[in-house]
Amino acid sequence: MRRLNWLPVAAVAAIAIVALATPLLPLPDPLAMDIAGRLAPPSRAHWLGQDQYGRDVLSRLLWGSRVSLGVAVLACGAAVALGTALGLAGGFLGRLAELLALRSMDIVLCFPPLLLALLVVTLLGPGAATLVPLLALLYLPGFVRVVYAGVLSVRSQDYAEAMRALGATRLRIMTRTILPNIGGPILVQFSLTMASAIVLESGLSFLGLGVVPPAPSWGLMIGAARSTMAQAPLLLLWPCLALSLTILAMNALCDALRDAVDPQRAPRPAGLRGTLAPHAPSLAPDGDALLALRGLTVEIDTPAGAIRPVRDVSLRLSPGETLALVGESGSGKSLTGLAAMGLLPPAARVVAGDIRVDGRDLRRLDETALRRLRGTAMAMVFQDPLSSLNPVHRIGAQIGEAVRAHHRLPARAVRERAVGLLRRVGIPDPERRARSFAHELSGGMRQRAMIAMAIANDPRLLIADEPTTALDTTVQAQILELISGLKRQGGMAILFITHSLPVVAEIADTLAVMYAGEIVEQGAAAALFARPLHPYTAALLASVPGEDGALPRSIPGTVPAPHDLPPGCRFAPRCAHRRDACEAAHPPLAPVGDDRLTRCIRWRDFAGTRPSAETAA
Amino acid sequence: MAWAIRRVGLSILLIWIAASIVFLAIRLVPGDPAELLMAQGGAPADPGAVAALHTQLGLDRPMAAQYVDSFRRLLHGDLGESLQDGTPVAGEIMRRLPRTLELIGTAAAIALLIGVPAGLAAALRRGGAFDRASSAVSTLGLATPIFVIGTLIVLIFAQLLRWVPAGGYVPLAQAPLRHFGLLLMPACAIAFGLASTMFRMTRTAVLDVSQRDYVRTARAKGVARRRVLIHHVLRNALMPVVTVLALQLGTLLGGTVLVEYVFNYPGLSGMLVDAVNARDYPEVEGIVLVISILFVTLNLAVDLLYAALDPRVRQG
Amino acid sequence: MTALLAAEDLSRRFAARGLFRRGRPVQAVAGVSLAIARGEAVGLVGESGSGKSTIGRLVLGLLAPDAGRVLLEGTDLASLREAARRRVRRRLQLVFQDPYSSLDPRRRVGRQIADGLAIHRLAPPAQRRERVAALLAQVGLAPEHAERFPHQFSGGQRQRIGIARALATGPEFLVADEPVSALDVSVQAQVLALLADLRTRLGLALLFISHDLPVVRSLCDRVVVLYLGRIMEEGPASEVLRHPRHPYTRALLAAAPGDPLRPRARILLRGDPPSPADPPSGCVFRTRCPYVLAECAQVVPALRSGGPGHRFACIRDDVETTLPAPTA
Repeated sequence: MRRLNWLPVAAVAAIAIVALATPLLPLPDPLAMDIAGRLAPPSRAHWLGQDQYGRDVLSRLLWGSRVSLGVAVLACGAAVALGTALGLAGGFLGRLAELLALRSMDIVLCFPPLLLALLVVTLLGPGAATLVPLLALLYLPGFVRVVYAGVLSVRSQDYAEAMRALGATRLRIMTRTILPNIGGPILVQFSLTMASAIVLESGLSFLGLGVVPPAPSWGLMIGAARSTMAQAPLLLLWPCLALSLTILAMNALCDALRDAVDPQRAPRPAGLRGTLAPHAPSLAPDGDALLALRGLTVEIDTPAGAIRPVRDVSLRLSPGETLALVGESGSGKSLTGLAAMGLLPPAARVVAGDIRVDGRDLRRLDETALRRLRGTAMAMVFQDPLSSLNPVHRIGAQIGEAVRAHHRLPARAVRERAVGLLRRVGIPDPERRARSFAHELSGGMRQRAMIAMAIANDPRLLIADEPTTALDTTVQAQILELISGLKRQGGMAILFITHSLPVVAEIADTLAVMYAGEIVEQGAAAALFARPLHPYTAALLASVPGEDGALPRSIPGTVPAPHDLPPGCRFAPRCAHRRDACEAAHPPLAPVGDDRLTRCIRWRDFAGTRPSAETAA
Repeated sequence: MAWAIRRVGLSILLIWIAASIVFLAIRLVPGDPAELLMAQGGAPADPGAVAALHTQLGLDRPMAAQYVDSFRRLLHGDLGESLQDGTPVAGEIMRRLPRTLELIGTAAAIALLIGVPAGLAAALRRGGAFDRASSAVSTLGLATPIFVIGTLIVLIFAQLLRWVPAGGYVPLAQAPLRHFGLLLMPACAIAFGLASTMFRMTRTAVLDVSQRDYVRTARAKGVARRRVLIHHVLRNALMPVVTVLALQLGTLLGGTVLVEYVFNYPGLSGMLVDAVNARDYPEVEGIVLVISILFVTLNLAVDLLYAALDPRVRQG
Repeated sequence: MTALLAAEDLSRRFAARGLFRRGRPVQAVAGVSLAIARGEAVGLVGESGSGKSTIGRLVLGLLAPDAGRVLLEGTDLASLREAARRRVRRRLQLVFQDPYSSLDPRRRVGRQIADGLAIHRLAPPAQRRERVAALLAQVGLAPEHAERFPHQFSGGQRQRIGIARALATGPEFLVADEPVSALDVSVQAQVLALLADLRTRLGLALLFISHDLPVVRSLCDRVVVLYLGRIMEEGPASEVLRHPRHPYTRALLAAAPGDPLRPRARILLRGDPPSPADPPSGCVFRTRCPYVLAECAQVVPALRSGGPGHRFACIRDDVETTLPAPTA
């Protein structure tokens, strides 16, 4: 749970305390008339003046807060109690209770609230005794729905099923597991409803259909002040101000509670912008490299300070080459790929290094020039094809959009090209599939469609970020086959980002292994698999179950957090080959002959054959 | 399509239930409506007059017969006669309903034209000066009840500045300019809160959608910024905004009461308040019924619209 | 050898419920029988939609089967009354896939681990603290971890806590539903090693649900391969993986990313698995099978013997020796 913003809480508490303490304050009687002091301006005896009957305005204002808040608290309290009971019953006691609890609320909801209020007041007459049950009835559906939705959502969580599996009774699950977890949303709904109840009560009183005069109420005071507003405009101002400030405080409280309860709504850095900051010296073009990263360092601002999840990463990718960037979650591999597309999230920025695609320095290009490169020179395929496809546009239109972003073609030609691309990535019946929406396709087909979109303009560089991770094993094999096929046909260079070494075994020419934001080992794939020169690579290889059915060997500990990196070698605390020297200084990525790089200072002592086969448990 | 038909059927069922509730409520509430009506002023009702009113309202017949009869008349658009002057209720409703709808429509247009662009602009430059200023104004708009805004508008523009008359209504045909001038003030009073809601919804939705993976995909394709904004961000962000607008409009159907009262605007809601105060049961029943039907129909329209906008809903 | 837990001919369908539309019911599990002996580890392998998680819930009695029954040492779970069934839960426990949703975010982990002790009155309140500490130690965590909240742990640690919670009641049978697939590679091995260790130390029977054949082989004695809710092949793990008799098992093995140094011939399956709401006639695998014959559409192949304890559901015998037909 996030930290609560205490300011609105304090404001609402202050209002409540004033309302509670009003009888104890030395105030004039709010009902005592004084015709001589009619419409008198503020004075020492009457701080806010006197109304059309000479009654003290301040006193009426404070006593009125008791009426407004009292009605609201009673009504919302009744609604929350009954609504929670009904919602729990609906979510817990089977289909019949569910039907009754929810459908009866639908009936309340087929009247606009104020209209229902007027109908009830017509029938029962005005007064607080009518208002409380009326408001409770009006707000009941809101609570029933919030509680019901909460029960359903918590019930579907694994921890609720774990309680069932443990043999807990329904009562125990309800009180220990469900109620605490839906308490937050109920609280939010309560504060929302309180504000709304105060508005409705004052509105009805304003019309003369709520609180009955002469009892003080803000709505009544505003209504009465209207008739004298030409002579005494201030009389109108005070109750308006009191009412608005109270609602303002309640709304702020509601927002604060919502932010604290629901992590989804918490402020996140966002926006469409996110170009690269201008950067100083430009290096000479990197030979014939299609993608060249030099010393790439990415920084992200977090509430705990800036972190650098990618540090000093250098990569080079020639035409037709496939480079696999391998690492676990938090290794910085995906950010590296996004940086190469100029698509870093807004909170992240490149603080050092050089990104070149086809000889062009991305950090020196503006957004328009970058846009022209995206989709033509370089394209990207993402991990989750369902969320990466727009749910409301047809597949064919989304592929066509990739074409049209770079070519002026008649609509018909674009359509044909989209269908052709779908055919090329092996989607059966492409004419029909082009008219489908993303949710109508299977996972494998969606990823094929994503690939079709990426290759729409025959890019020379394809960046694939975990393109098979979300897919089933047999479908994963198909997508890998498709990507290798594209590579064979087109001479496209591929940056293949993945967490799984075995997946890249048959597709990668070269390999770069990342750990905690930096490359720890780099080299030709075959050589690296045969003879890893960094203990982390070796351990990763050993953590894959072997052919012989031996249990995989585990790496102790966890990946360090980016704001809490070990001082020396980042892997040292988990390394079986650690020496004091490893923790003394941060080792550089050093060349070790025939195009191999390692960040291990003990690679000579350590280097051996693959450890998995010989040390099986 | 089967989905839409079921949804329409459900709405008809709801309208029937609503009508039945209105019918029953008036007859089952403790106290005889006729007696209550005649006893105004504290004096006991004259038994003869009460009996006459019973006959007029049909209250002396069995409940089931009244129920069947009132539904039969309802199907013919007959909502009975007003107790105050004996005129047909349906005629008066049809005269006033367009005025209320015009008021709501104008307010919604103003709110939409201000709220959505402002929300978009604020989201695109999140944390900027415009974002902070407009967010503050919208907070105020959400915290000020509609009748307070209305009253303050009257106080400032009519009483203090004397720019406009305090309220009233002139038919369009009679004086077009004055008609719109008088319409504008209550419409603005409604639009302030409504625009604040639109602003907030748009801002939140645009911020949310901007971070979706498919927006990143569109940018990765090299789609122009403007097109990303319109085709991907706005297209998806406007779905919740449109839904909220439509639901708010439904609430306004009964909620213009306060504004009509403040500005002395002769709409349907004003008629309702008068009817409530006069205990004119046939009128109250008729108005509540008409507004409920509109309300349920509007909710139905929202659902169907949502299905049209989002292909995932159609699949069920 | 009498089974600790036996499932006989289990079937379960789910009504697909839309907002206003009733879809075709999904046949999640169809006629599946399983037997698990005391201390035995059985791997349940399949892709998404194979019904493997549903079977896990069925054998635990968390879901009721439409047909068939689940016997715990000969007692039908369905014949037990509500209270008795809750008591039986002590002996059968579950470990979840998602380490994030499997722990209640609002309660300290110590209290969550102690739930089982409290529900079955296995320890007086005074001793629970001690028992929780012992359980934490058993999964490689420290006693002070009991006072923390779930968000203060990494995915691997959360998975350990989930295991400790399951062990609290002293179960004899554990269902582990993809317990490592949400974890990082380097952490997966830790959790697998822990499960293997607990199994031998506590004599636990284990139903290990996974999509990953190599992982299953490293942990399990027997393996059951599922496709669209039906058993395709079952038998001793080493036997099934070395000599798969069913084309689907072969394809799954070929597709599984295995040893990077030993690339093998791929058997690429056509297309995606069909929808469980609309399974093909005859053999459910025939639409993607490289060895498909005309008669596969007509008969539902029965499970038949392919060696001691080894059974498979395919009408062909020559799958091992024939190369697959070229795929589209």
